[in-house]
Parts: sequence; structure tokens; C-alpha cells
Amino acid sequence: MGVSKGDEVLLNEIKAGNTMAFEAMVLKYQPKLMSSLTAYTKSPDQAEELCQKTFIRVWQKIDSFRGDSALFTWIYRIGINMAKNDFASSFSKSSKITDSLDQNEHDVPQYLSPETELIAMESENKIMEFIQTLDTETKTAFTLREIDGKTYDEIAQILQCPIGTVRSRIFRARALILEFMNQENILNG
Amino acid sequence: MDKDLEKLSALYDGELSSKEMQESLAEMNADASLKETFHKFGLISALVQRHSEQKTPKVSFLKDYLSKINPLMSNFVTAAATVMITLIILYQFDEDRFQVDRDSSLQLSSALSSDQAKNQLLNADQNIMEHMIHIMQSNQSHNSQQVSKNWVPVGFSVNPNNPNQYSNGRNNLFFHLENKQLGIKKVKYFKANNNWIYLIPLQDGRLLTAYGDVPPSVADPMIQSIYQRK
Repeated sequence: MGVSKGDEVLLNEIKAGNTMAFEAMVLKYQPKLMSSLTAYTKSPDQAEELCQKTFIRVWQKIDSFRGDSALFTWIYRIGINMAKNDFASSFSKSSKITDSLDQNEHDVPQYLSPETELIAMESENKIMEFIQTLDTETKTAFTLREIDGKTYDEIAQILQCPIGTVRSRIFRARALILEFMNQENILNG
Repeated sequence: MDKDLEKLSALYDGELSSKEMQESLAEMNADASLKETFHKFGLISALVQRHSEQKTPKVSFLKDYLSKINPLMSNFVTAAATVMITLIILYQFDEDRFQVDRDSSLQLSSALSSDQAKNQLLNADQNIMEHMIHIMQSNQSHNSQQVSKNWVPVGFSVNPNNPNQYSNGRNNLFFHLENKQLGIKKVKYFKANNNWIYLIPLQDGRLLTAYGDVPPSVADPMIQSIYQRK
């Protein structure tokens, strides 16, 4: 599977040097990468550091990304390779990775602390339970997007409704989940 | 404001045109709260996807499964483009007790055309799926042992023409009882459109299947009472 149509537009902007687009990409994929790297390293601190390094590398290497895989898959591979090298260098004291990152560094935005990135399991379960309480139309559109990675057009065809309706249902799901997270004080601490 | 956030949500999904995207990125760049919201969309995605991967997914679509095992059999659900079968494990069998096992419940929904869902279904126990298909296709005519009246939910009465069909005037429920358990150790239920199928392994080795437009809220006490009366 190649890069999605949505990411392709973002990618073109990044390749054209649009730093806002890069920032949007970081904001979008940082939580997922943090989650993957934390699972891999078992250390939120290490994962955070690797996450930063990964996005710096992504910025440096973005022109070489040909779109043969999904954008996140490519980012994930870089992150996992970083983690492997990090692990190896912790034994060899090699500074192979950090040396290569000294040039052309790009600030990676960090809006939420690693602690808040990692939503506690209890809160995660609460959120998942809340999602189940959403009305069927909203929940279906949301899960088709988030779990199955369907485009709005594909969802519209499946649910036999206009794209605008899909867009508003997905937004409605996100808005309600955010409202619930605020009510439950998840991420506000 | 909601329109801005809806646009932000579409930006997150990569569903804006290049021009709209540039406008939206500029708005986000000028407003830290939009950035934070955008990032929270990412957190929600990560959470939902992680949760989906952690749990053994059991969301399945009947049509894909049927077309795989027998293309002709899929016809009866062809029209139902969004037919979903959601397998949810409700109870955990533990020695002589059936306990509620909420942790293992899974209530995801997905789409008929989902490759992931198709693979999940194909990985599901074929015997269980075939049993369910059989029940759904022949709920009024299958051979079944007579069920105990004690198992029937309160308020339901028997159909004089079919001793295994019960109704409360609003909902219908068919029972099917036979000497097999298909390896099922826990009560499982599936949803297909407005109907539900409950697979209830009895401790005497038989399998009670209940099928109808009876939601879990009604079936739940029925299942509890079946085990309490054992």
C-alpha cells in the first residue's frame, strides 16, 4: 500500500519546504509513533527522545520518500531503526546516529508532555467505552476512518451518504470524544 | 468555530484540497489551540488504533465470508451493504460459573469492504460461522431439541405453530438446541442488522442458540437465568 491521497497532499507541501505542513505531520503522527516506540523500548523517556530524533530524520530524508509505503509506515521504520541503533550504540558508545543528526536540525514541536501522551489504560478503556455510546452513524463513520483507514469518498459509498455528511459525522465523533476527555479530565492534568 | 474545527478534522484526515489545506495550515499556525486540538485528534487515533490492535479483533462481515466459502450463499446478504456481524464475548466460563467478562468484550464496527475485517472473519472459527449461517437461513424450520420453558425470557410466549419460537409481541426469539458445542466455552453473541445470535454453551455439553431481534439488554438476564437454573 502506498501513501494515502491525504498524506500525499501533505507530503508535497512538506517537500516544497512548507514547515507548517511538516508541523502538521508531526502533530498528526507523533502520538502514534510515541505509542509504538514506547511499546518497543518500554521507556517513555527513551521513546520521547527517539520520537524527536525520528522526526528530525524524517525532515532530513523527506525528499527520498518515494511513497511506496504509507507515510506512517515509513516514519515508523525510521523510528524503529533509530531505536535499534540506539540500543546498539548504548553498548558500543557509538555516536553514529546523533552525529548524523547534527546538521540541518529542524525543531520538532512538542505540545504535550510524554506523560500525557500515554493515556493511562483506565482512561483508554473509558474512552473506548464512550465511543461505543456514540450513535451508530457517527461511530461507524469514525471507525471506518480510524480503524479501516477509509477515505471520506469510500465511507460515503459504503454508508450511501454525501461526503459532507461523512466529514461532519467524523468531526462530530472527534468533538464528542474530546468533550468527554475534558469532562473526565483526561489530558488536562 | 465548529466549522473551523470540522475543517481541521478534515485536514487531519487529508481530505482538503491543496488550497484549503494551505488556508487551514495557516489558521492552525496562528492559533495554538487549533494546534493542540489537531494533536489531540492524533492522540485519539493512536489510542483507537492501539486498542484495536491490542484486542484480538473479532469484527467480521458475513458477506465477505460467505463469498469466500460459497459465492452463492452470499446472495442473501448482498442487499445489506452494511451488514455487520460483531462478535462480542460476554461471559467467561470458569469451572461451574459463568462470569461476566467485560474486559474481553469488543464492540468495534467496521465496513463490509474492509480487508482487515475479512481476514479476521476468515480467521474465525469456520464451524461457528457455518452454524450461525445455518441458523440464520433456517430459523423457522431447523431441527432442534425442545428447549426448556425456564430459559424463555419473562414476557415471551410460545408461538403455537413453532414450539421453539417465542414472542413478547414486539420481539421474536427462536431457540435452537443441539448436542454440540463447537468448542465454545463462553457465551458469544453476534449482531447482524437488527438481529442478534446468542451462542450459549450449556454445562451438559449441548449448545443453545437464540436468534432474533432481542438486544443484549433483554438477553442478558435470560442468559444469567439459564446458568442459575442449571
